[in-house]
Formats: sequence, structure tokens, C-alpha cells
Amino acid sequence: MFYTWLILILPLLGFAGLSWFGDRIPKKLVGPVGCATVGGSFFFTLIALIHLLSMEPGERVGNVQTLYHWIQSGNFTLDLAILIDPLSVFMLLVITGVGFLIHVYSIGYMEKDPNIDTFFAYLNLFIFSMSVLVLAADFFFLIVGWAFVGLASYLLIGFWTEKTSAVFAARKAFVMNVIGDVGMVIAAFMIFENFGSITYMDVFAQAPEKFLANDDTMLLITLFLLVGAFAKSAQIPLHTWLPDAMEGPTPVSALIHAATMVTAGVYLVARCHVLYDLAPYTMMLVAAVGVITALFAGSMGMVQYDIKRVIAYSTMSQLGYMFLAVGIGVYSVGMFHLMTHAFFKALLFLGAGSVIHSMNDEQDIRKMGGLKESMPITYYTFLIGTLALCGFPLTAGYFSKEAIIMSSWYAEGSNPVFWALAIAGAGMTGFYAFRVFFYSFFGTCRTAEAHPHESPTIMTYPLLILAFFAIFAGFGAPLAHSFLAPVFGGVVPEHHTNGFLEIIAVGVALSGIIVAAIFYAEGGEAEGKSDGLKELLAPIHDVLFRKYYIDELYDVLIVQPVKKTGEFIWKTGEQKGIDFVVDEVGAQVKEMSRLLSIWQSGKVRIYALNMIAGTVFVLIFVVFL
Amino acid sequence: MGSQFVLIVSASIFCIGATGFLIRKNPLVMFMSLELMLNAVNFLLIGYSHFLKSLDGQIFALVVMTVAAAEVVVGLGIILTIFRTRHELNVDEIDALKG
Repeated sequence: MFYTWLILILPLLGFAGLSWFGDRIPKKLVGPVGCATVGGSFFFTLIALIHLLSMEPGERVGNVQTLYHWIQSGNFTLDLAILIDPLSVFMLLVITGVGFLIHVYSIGYMEKDPNIDTFFAYLNLFIFSMSVLVLAADFFFLIVGWAFVGLASYLLIGFWTEKTSAVFAARKAFVMNVIGDVGMVIAAFMIFENFGSITYMDVFAQAPEKFLANDDTMLLITLFLLVGAFAKSAQIPLHTWLPDAMEGPTPVSALIHAATMVTAGVYLVARCHVLYDLAPYTMMLVAAVGVITALFAGSMGMVQYDIKRVIAYSTMSQLGYMFLAVGIGVYSVGMFHLMTHAFFKALLFLGAGSVIHSMNDEQDIRKMGGLKESMPITYYTFLIGTLALCGFPLTAGYFSKEAIIMSSWYAEGSNPVFWALAIAGAGMTGFYAFRVFFYSFFGTCRTAEAHPHESPTIMTYPLLILAFFAIFAGFGAPLAHSFLAPVFGGVVPEHHTNGFLEIIAVGVALSGIIVAAIFYAEGGEAEGKSDGLKELLAPIHDVLFRKYYIDELYDVLIVQPVKKTGEFIWKTGEQKGIDFVVDEVGAQVKEMSRLLSIWQSGKVRIYALNMIAGTVFVLIFVVFL
Repeated sequence: MGSQFVLIVSASIFCIGATGFLIRKNPLVMFMSLELMLNAVNFLLIGYSHFLKSLDGQIFALVVMTVAAAEVVVGLGIILTIFRTRHELNVDEIDALKG
């Protein structure tokens, strides 16, 4: 299966080629080149999928392909190797498939940007990094990919370098992610110390023999891994970077901050499920943080006015559901939600991008409205995405999210509190998703000078394809579960049917939609006017709108002390300490030089006198003494 | 005439040249003084060439004259340039290299 390496190498070539030659080839060619490499990766991923399906289910796991032995030092070995198994191929399908559509969309979205070659180079770099992350066969390359996606994310959030807020957002995202990277690295060290190896195969084979459930070491390893997972997937308390990351171009938000990179945390927990199964306490924490984030992010999303921010909060919230699923041990349910979420969330972001594009880069939903007539394709695809997000029956989101909510009632690791919170989150989802929808597409346009128009076909085709999957992907659930089963010890999650619970779940989601319709069916209010919700939520509206003051809290607790310390070291340590010594040495040398330089008067006659006097002196000395 | 005469004349001319170099402020006059000093030495060289019956001293004198001519060319060039830019030729005023 040598071709699997091409999945990695093609985007890397795309990145290198576009970086070096991107500004020398015609602008029109940049986009197609960027798309072609990702399309090629997708093609080879499909071949890998067919290859895997042709094997017996038992043989599908553990196909490690080694290119060469890289490092051999004592008992530490490191191979350049990739792991092809159902989980990595499943992730690759999402990454390269959705990634390809978003690349195509970017051709239209970034058409007028002068740095489009850099943009596509970065996008290719991201696809490469993400492929490294999921194809890694050991914790080392996992961390390499993990850090690289962070870099690509940083570069793309701050792509518009002339926008100060974008640069700050990029920095924030990078710092938050580095916190996670540190956790990952510590976890990798601990794994090596305890298992003597960092390859998945060795570690996962040894773990159940070496450790009992809830062993302290196991808890620590899983917790440190979790720091990385939470930072990457924007879970509480490391979530604040994701809403700010929306400063980047919209295709970036769709690709990195919705469909792929932010789901890496879920992938990590699923990939290391052997370790997490040995640490039930950590699992409980995963589920609890997941469901709390789902609720918490939903509540913040209800009052925001920036179309992309609302979708970003819904991403956090859906990631929370995925963590809930993996936290209660139904890994493939979580992974399936990851996939459907990639479809409908990419669809929503691209739809939002289409709206923003036609409104001349306006992101405030209070200034939109009435786009239904002028942008029919965007309108219908956005509606499909919104319905899928809410879990409207028979859309993809319904099958995947319903499965999570049902599992949270039945699964062993869960309890009714998780179920209740998940249901409440679903209600909020219905509300904020449709709030944005009504605000943007209903009523009349609230910006007089805007001339909204439908986006070009290169942008609408990806929308239509994603919309297709956002409706029908849900029917693939049994297939996905049986495909992923070998990775998760052959367990196919039970399909629970309980009419009563289902009615509650769907009912709550629908009631969220209905509440949104009651408030906003007329299309929402312009800026400055108070909408119904604001009055209703008056006491807590500000708290929600300011995101529970968590940014302010971090500012007071961490940023300001660090700044103060830095300032102290700068002003006292450097200026009064180091600078003083250096300056003083310089000043003393200068003073001595000044005394010597008196001799250098610049007057020729004095020099001549000195010369003659010197000669006479020497003569006297030689002749008479 | 003995060699003392040559020594005395040479030393006298050299001292006149040295004094002139020290007390005059006009670089042209200073150059003339310089020539005096050089020629005092030439005089000594030629004189002793005669007494010692060796041509070495005369050849040396020729070399000194050549070097002096070359030096005067460069020196006059510098003086001209200074005069063109500063419109004055007082060596006490020209102290741009003061430390």
C-alpha cells in the first residue's frame, strides 16, 4: 500500500510548490493547483478505503507502514511510519473530502485577494499537517501533526495581517494551543517512561496488562492528553480562542475551526480509547466537560450578533456533544457525529461566507435580512445546514446527535444529569441556529446601500454537495459503526429505540426552533433596537453577551500578572540592572578616551613640535647618556 | 674646508627650516620650510659623498629629491582642495581631526 504515502506527500508538494512558485504562475492557476493536490489526497484515501473494505474486519487494524527507521537510541526507536486503519481512514475521508470542497469554494471566495497563492499554500500545509496527525502511528508524529495544525491555524487566522484584531486572535489561538501541546508532550514522556515505547501498537497492547483501572499513572497520562484535546477542541476552560479565530477568512473557519482541526481532540480520545477505558474517572471528566461546554457555548451563542461567532459557538457546543459521546464510551457514535458535523458545519460556514461575501464583508446579522430572494441557493442550503444542526428529524444531524443523546441515557458511564443537560443544549441549538437564520434571510435588508447577490457557481456547488451530505449522511450510521467497530474492540454501539425519549429530544429541539420563530420570524431588529429576547433575558443578557466575562477573568488572572511581571523585569531587571552596568562600562571607557584624546589637538604645528622635541630628546638620550 | 663646515651649514639650514615650519601658519611657507630641511640633508649627503669618495650619498640625494617632488605634488593638491572648500589657509584653523 505504498500509495498511502501520497495522501501525505501531495499536499506537502502543493504547499512547497505554491510557496516557491505561487507568485510566478498566473493567479488563475493557483486555486486549481491547490485543489488538485487535495483532490489527489482524497482519491488515494478512497483507494485506501476500498483496500480496507476488501480485508477481513479483523485484519483492518494495526496496518503500520514503515518507510524507514529514523532514530535508534538505546531502547528508544522511532520509525517514519503511518497507520492505516478504519479510524484514520475515516478521519482522512472527512479531512480530504470536506477539505477539497472548501478548497474549491476558496477559489471563488478569495478570488480578489492579492495573496491568494499564500492562502492556498497555507491551506495545503494544513491538510498535510492534519493528515500527519491522523496517520501517525506513534505519539511522536501525533504531536508533530498536532503542532503543525496549530501553526497552520495561526497562519490562516492571521492571514489578513493588516487587520489588527486578526493578528491578536491568531496569537491568542496559538498560545492557547501551545498550552495543550505542552500537556501532550508531558503525556508522551510519561507514556515512554511507563511503556518503553511510544508507538500506539506497543502502548495499547501493554496498557491493559500493566495497569489496573484508575491507576494513578493512567489517570495522569489521560489527563495530560486531555489538556491537548481540550485546547485543540476549544472545550472549557481552554475555549476562548475559538470565537476570536473567526477573524480569519471564512473558508478557514469552515475547514479548520469547524470541520477538521477542532475535532482532533475527539479523535485523540477515540484513538487512545484503550487508555481512557482504563481511566473511568477521566472518562467521567471528558463527558462532564463535554456536556457543560455544549450547554455553556449554546447559551453564549444565543445572544451574539456576529454570524460567524454564533456558528463558532455552535461548533464548540457540538464538539461538546462529541466529547460527551466519547466520554461515555460510545466512541463510534462520537466519531459519526464528527463526520456529520463536518458536513453541516462546513455547509453553514460556507453559507455564512456566501452571505458575508455578497454583503461586502459585513458579518453583523443586524445589518442583514431579507436575503431569501436575492440568494436562493445559499438560502436553501443554509436552511438544510441549520436543520441538520438542530437535529431535525431525518437530517444527518438528527441521526448522529440523537444517538448521542440516547446513549447518554443508556450508556454505563453516563447518568441522567448528562442526558438532561444534553437535551437542554439541543433546545438552545434550535434557538440560536434559527435566530441567525431568520435574522439573515427573513424580513427586509437593514443595510440600505447593500446589493446582495447570489455567489458564483464555484461557491454554490460545494454548498449543494455539502447540503446533499447534510441530509443523507445520517443513513450511513450503521455502515460507519460497523466500519469503525474493529478499532474499538469490535463493539458496535447498541441502537436504542425509546419512543418517549426520542419525542422529548426532538420536541425540545423543535421548541427551540419555535421560540426563535416567535421572536424573529419577522427578520430581527436593526442595531440599536432592542429585540424581544434581549428584554426577556435582561438580567443575564450582558453576562451571556460578554461570554461570562471569561476573557476578562483570564485577563485579570493570567494576562495582566504576566504583563506586570514582564514589565517589572524589563524596567527593574533590564533597565536598572543590565542596562546600567553596560552603560556605565561604556561611559567609563569613554571618559578615559576623552583624557587621552586631548593630545590629539588636530593642529599640525603642535604635532611637528612634538616630533622635533621627541627627536631631540632621543638624540640627547643616545648621544649624552 | 673641512667636514665641519658642511655639518654646520647643513645643521643651520635644517634649524632654519624646522623653525620656519613651527612658526609659520601658511601651509605654502611651511612647505618651503620643509624643502629647506630636506635640502639641508641633501647637502650633508653630497658633502660626505665627496669626503668619503663614495657615490652612495649622491644617489641617496637624488632619491630624496624625487620623493620630495612627489610629496610636494600631493601636498599642494591637498592645500588647493582645502583652500577651495574653506577659503582660508591658516593651519591652526584646520583642525577637523581634533579628538
